[in-house]
Amino acid sequence: MKPKLIIGIVAIVGFTSLLMYNFGESISTYTTFEGAQERSTAHIPGVWDEEKGAEFSLETKRFTFYMKDEDGVSRKVVYPKPKPNNFEEADQLVVIGEMRGDVFYANEMLMKCPSKYNDTDPGQFVDASQG
Amino acid sequence: MLGILGKILISASFVTSVIALIYYYLASRNDENKPLRVGNWLFAAKTVFLLAGSGILVYLIFQHQFQYYYVFNYTSLDLTPRYLFSAFYGGQEGSFMLWILFSAFIGFGLMKWTRPPYRGPVLFFLTLTQVFLLSMILGWDIFGTKLGASPFRTIAEEMPNAPFLQSNPDFVPADGSGLNDLLKSPWMMIHPPVLFIGFAMMTIPYCFAMAALWKRTYNEWVNPALPWTLGANVALLTAIFLGGYWAYVTLSFGGYWAWDPVENASLVPWLIGTAGIHTMIIQRKSAVAQKSSILFAILAYVFIVYETFLTRSGILGSSSVHSFVDLGLYNQLLAFMLVVTLVGLGLFFWRYKELPSPDKESSILSREFMTVTGAMALLILGLVIILGTSSPILGRLFVENPTPPEISFYNDWSMPIVMIMAILTVIGQFLFWKKHDAESLASALINPLLVTSALTIASIIWGDVRNLYYMAYLFCGWFAVVGNGWMMIKLAMKKPKLIGGSLTHLGFGMLLVGILASSAYNEPLVDQKTAEYNAAVERGEVTDEQGFTVTQKEEMLVLNLNEPVLIDGRYMVTYEGYDLDNSVRRGQQTYKLRFEPVNGGKAFYMKPEVYPMLTSSSQENIQWSVDPDVRTGLLSDIYLYVGGSSYVEEQNNRVSERSQMMQNVAEQDTMDAEEQIQNIKFALGETIDVGKFKIRFVNYSRTDSASLPPNTSIGVRAEVELIHPASERVITVDPLFAVYSENGQSYIYSPPSFIPEFDLEFQFTQIFPQENSIELTVTGLEEEYDPEWVLIVADEKPFISVVWAGTFVLMAGFSLSIFRHWGRERKKNKE
Repeated sequence: MKPKLIIGIVAIVGFTSLLMYNFGESISTYTTFEGAQERSTAHIPGVWDEEKGAEFSLETKRFTFYMKDEDGVSRKVVYPKPKPNNFEEADQLVVIGEMRGDVFYANEMLMKCPSKYNDTDPGQFVDASQG
Repeated sequence: MLGILGKILISASFVTSVIALIYYYLASRNDENKPLRVGNWLFAAKTVFLLAGSGILVYLIFQHQFQYYYVFNYTSLDLTPRYLFSAFYGGQEGSFMLWILFSAFIGFGLMKWTRPPYRGPVLFFLTLTQVFLLSMILGWDIFGTKLGASPFRTIAEEMPNAPFLQSNPDFVPADGSGLNDLLKSPWMMIHPPVLFIGFAMMTIPYCFAMAALWKRTYNEWVNPALPWTLGANVALLTAIFLGGYWAYVTLSFGGYWAWDPVENASLVPWLIGTAGIHTMIIQRKSAVAQKSSILFAILAYVFIVYETFLTRSGILGSSSVHSFVDLGLYNQLLAFMLVVTLVGLGLFFWRYKELPSPDKESSILSREFMTVTGAMALLILGLVIILGTSSPILGRLFVENPTPPEISFYNDWSMPIVMIMAILTVIGQFLFWKKHDAESLASALINPLLVTSALTIASIIWGDVRNLYYMAYLFCGWFAVVGNGWMMIKLAMKKPKLIGGSLTHLGFGMLLVGILASSAYNEPLVDQKTAEYNAAVERGEVTDEQGFTVTQKEEMLVLNLNEPVLIDGRYMVTYEGYDLDNSVRRGQQTYKLRFEPVNGGKAFYMKPEVYPMLTSSSQENIQWSVDPDVRTGLLSDIYLYVGGSSYVEEQNNRVSERSQMMQNVAEQDTMDAEEQIQNIKFALGETIDVGKFKIRFVNYSRTDSASLPPNTSIGVRAEVELIHPASERVITVDPLFAVYSENGQSYIYSPPSFIPEFDLEFQFTQIFPQENSIELTVTGLEEEYDPEWVLIVADEKPFISVVWAGTFVLMAGFSLSIFRHWGRERKKNKE
């Protein structure tokens, strides 16, 4: 009975610590373009820098736009998919990807869209690849 | 007026529930029949009130009473009756109502079929959960503290500070903002109700477990609880399947599963419920695992409430695709969750010492050990998924402002766990029906193992599997298929009634194989050039202008009208234009893509759709939504959606031009003054759409020499039809193209042909003999001619059919077990 119990406890503790460690590794924190320099994958919330436009190029098949992060820094973002449907309307974007020099390469993009009639509504995020 | 009645009905429903709760408590404490009967009457009254309230809400929706916020927010005049009805549960408040309704209906079943001593306590706990759920839709205001959000609140109550209400307090919007276009789908009719049936039924094992703890009878409760739990399980599984299928075929989520918190919210209770089914079955057979049965029954419901809290409190707001509107129910949901959890686990640990323990340890090679271990594996998988879903809360242990975990977190952990489960299912099934020692088990398993190995090797070769881990996984999946299939055939020959378990496990094995095939071997369908580019990206050979290595592959394709492109070396794909159709959704385009298999085989069409989302589009900005087309095949599916098209771009330009024009009327005049000259190339017989006209190059025609300049070497006319569909007029012109020489030099002569009706002129300006096409120069067209194109994203997903088949087999297996266990219960009830 005793050794079984010990093995059991060790197994549970070992499993739990491995799980929590891996969980801690697989989540990250929302950051800025500057903070993204040190990371391999970064989640950056921000808003579309409208003045600099946004364009999907049929040649490179990339959607390119400028985004202002929470520090107000504007950087070019390259997204390898068609322009998300509700891009213009989103009042917040989250780009997920990696910073290379001055350009951010987003593999994924989430958009937070405002509700039309109620400003207190927190709205919702929609995954860019989903529509 | 009706709204006030609705509010009163919900309040009455709440109050009667509270009183019923008291009577059920009295009935349960002393096992008395009289208070139980009173409780039942109150329960019935509560149901009637709630039904009447729901009826009023549905009536208000159908009467388009837009002064009510719920009606305004989720419906509009143009909705067809079926979507008006689904709008009833389209919002958070209505979905609570639907949930409670189902829960109440189930309550009557419990009244009828539950025997003492459990009847009173079971109804007590069911009513308790209903009291909490009802409190979410009360809309009471107690000294400034809001209790619940009523579906009957008016716009004025919802937005007291809105400017249009301050100027006119009786304002009623002319039309509602409409049901989200994504929800206008037949799946919306069926998916949420089935899900709430599952949620409501999953309450029952919780109630029975609590009743067992209360009444200190820890063995008998599993008999009546088991069919209910199985039923809840089938309902949840059906709901998960419907949701996954919906996501896959119409919502363009790109697949059937994305580890989204809302998806996890129904998966985790299902996993824990399944764990509970395992321990209940073994408890019934061998009188072991009483503790685990009770614990799992409690946890399954706790997780339903926990996930309800996560998805509806707004806490997930930033990490889920389907987040509910935050109604400020955070505290109430938290209280609900805490009460359900604390009462459940509290009572469990209070009685823990009393709970029966097995006299002796069961050996590893016993059905008891295998079944309980399997249940534990299900629990662990559930906990891992819960951990991932809880990242907005638990992630704070590691970082501030945590993001959701990467998808790989879920995949990395669930893969080894399900592999262990797969092996356990087979050994468990073999031990379940016959006692084995290690040696006899090994010999019984030799044949299944041989078949498994053969199938694994075959699929590795056939599917070109290179990853060792996937090979091991495939082996486990096939082992579950073969081993359980083997057992099932054996049982079916003796006693076909008993195959429920092995059939379920067979379905699980199929699911495992199907999931790997469809997710790990998902291939984008692209042309040769793109495929080569992607291969180079994979090798790390592509660099961009700044010299960085490109890691993003290109997974889309531009197709020009009527220009076939070879895709994946297998299909010749031609874009044949689009149809505009206003009948289903205004402005919906259906794109026609012809797929012709190169190696023979029948050509087929894929017809993805794009439509403007009317609820969120505006004058200055159209929001487009896509409806993918899926071609389902036995071996693989083709999944395709439109990422953009010339039409969509044109519409966007038109809208943005209009909004600019509105800002700057002065510029408009100069724009019109400029005459448009365009060169358009036509193949012989081709028709091209330009703005409101169609232009067709019918044929070449002869010309008489009188109209030709002297010294002409070539002289030909083009017969061109100008079609104006709006007026159904067809005008034919024949512009001339001639080459003549003067002073040793060649000149082109192409005099304009006028069409005064539309103020257009045509010139035949070039000829391309090799391509058998010509160039026309058209002056006066307002619209620009752009070649028509479409941008598609296409995937080939192998063996999705196996995923669905596995799910159906799982459902069938569970359903068979329901009949078996329910039949036995019915007999007992008759006794």
